[in-house]
Amino acid sequence: MELVAIAIFVVALAALALDWAHRTKIALGGAAAMVLVGAIDQEQAVEAIDWPTLGLLAGMMVIVALTEPTGFFTYVALKATQISRGQPVALVLLLSLMTGVLSAFLDNLTSILLVVPITLLIADILRIPPIPLVLIQVLASNIGGTATLIGDPPNILIGSHRPELSFMDFIVNLAPVAIFTLLVASGLLALVYRSRLRPAPERAAQIAALDPARDMRSATKVKRTLAVLAGTIIAFFLHAPLHLEPAVVALVGATVMLFVAADDVEDALSRVEWSTLLFFMGLFVMVGALVEQGVIADIAENLAELTGDSSVAEGMVVLWGSALGSALVDNIPFTTAMLPVVDSIQGEEFDDGLWWALALGACFGGNATMIAAAANVAATGILERTGYRVSFLQFLVVGLPITILSLLIATAYLLLFQL
Amino acid sequence: MALRDLDLTDASVQQTAALADAVKKLFAARVPTLAVLDDECRVVGILSERDVLRAVFPGYLSEIRHSAFLTDDAAALEELAQRARDQPVSEFMRESEVLETSDSQIHAAERLMHSGDDALPVVEKERFVGMLSVAGLCHARLDRLQS
Repeated sequence: MELVAIAIFVVALAALALDWAHRTKIALGGAAAMVLVGAIDQEQAVEAIDWPTLGLLAGMMVIVALTEPTGFFTYVALKATQISRGQPVALVLLLSLMTGVLSAFLDNLTSILLVVPITLLIADILRIPPIPLVLIQVLASNIGGTATLIGDPPNILIGSHRPELSFMDFIVNLAPVAIFTLLVASGLLALVYRSRLRPAPERAAQIAALDPARDMRSATKVKRTLAVLAGTIIAFFLHAPLHLEPAVVALVGATVMLFVAADDVEDALSRVEWSTLLFFMGLFVMVGALVEQGVIADIAENLAELTGDSSVAEGMVVLWGSALGSALVDNIPFTTAMLPVVDSIQGEEFDDGLWWALALGACFGGNATMIAAAANVAATGILERTGYRVSFLQFLVVGLPITILSLLIATAYLLLFQL
Repeated sequence: MALRDLDLTDASVQQTAALADAVKKLFAARVPTLAVLDDECRVVGILSERDVLRAVFPGYLSEIRHSAFLTDDAAALEELAQRARDQPVSEFMRESEVLETSDSQIHAAERLMHSGDDALPVVEKERFVGMLSVAGLCHARLDRLQS
């Protein structure tokens, strides 16, 4: 049975990596197969689902969907472009910092869906190629999302799985290294692309003449909506002293947002991406079956043998291993499978360093290939719909060097401060 | 009362025709959608006013929700129009369901409600007969009443 469970999981991962069908179909198909062959029984399958992760995701989806119509994100992106005054280095730095900060507080996938269309518009007005600009933003969103518990799906998974790690713990342990990496990576990319992204002076003048506030029409509603968003983010910072789980913060924030900003509840709730939530559910059941069959314990045992008793070796294997795994199969399923592995490796004694290694490996690894993170898939999807095709190789050429650079920074950080 | 009893609109374009010619036909036709046909008069798709809108204006517009701050960049718009003008209709058309001349009017009404398009092609023995629009169908119902 153990081999059957492994086979189902490997086929599902291959199907996800090769894009054989929609990812939700694959995850649900794999979960159904695990239950039907008896790799996990029905009650255990339900228990394997991590409801806090789903609550956190659903809550944030509603909050962002209701904030988007305010025009606030468009305003911020346009302002950033105006401040850059057509200087390519400033433009790249500002747009990637903006994306990084948005990703940290809204999650990177949502941020990418919000900013990429505006970036296409900005590139069109400035008459500069949009693809490098969008790729830089994708990299920035994966790095920026690393900074918080809600910034990137791997962190949401880790934070929901280990309640001892609070929002502030993520900020204290990951934000400094994420900010440093974001500055180094965007600075480097800005230098590499500066000649290609230089607009003609008259184009920059055209952007300067725009009035970004023109779309923020109903001022009171905008203020109220943004206040709820800000309140939710503040509540995330305080969730541990308030004894509230992050999922509760997100769901309460979403509920308040429904009262304040949703004229039509049905319409607001239709913005919840159910396919994404079901994708997570399928993954949880598949990984639950691997745990039941002892596969995860075997992997952890092998890793423990490999690393001996050295926490440094364990941390390095988790960091680089998760980056490689994420690059090959997408960091969401990979992290889901790694959660019980890291549980086993650390044994009885809780060691937060290993969890930061997993977060850094999976989030930074998300930049390596086009399929490594959901944000990458979403961004290249928007580009394709609007007439700009990005090939796997084209992404790899930019993504892989940045991934290696950021993993080196993460290695130094973990060795110096965590392991 | 099958669809063959109605006054259908002959609004179609060959799939190899240039977009500019299709837009001319759309502008003159009484329906918001053209049937796109192959050499043998079979329906291979439809081209609606919205499809043309997306062809003549920047692609990213369908992805953004805010644009009140934008001003017209005459040169850029002209460049885009130049590029779209001579492209074949097949580049911009969409797949569409078709109605049969033997279909009932009430079935046509249900399909028009749910298809998302304001007009659908009607075929007989796989050959295009005409377009049935919402206005065409409703006009026929109300006109009967008056006469």
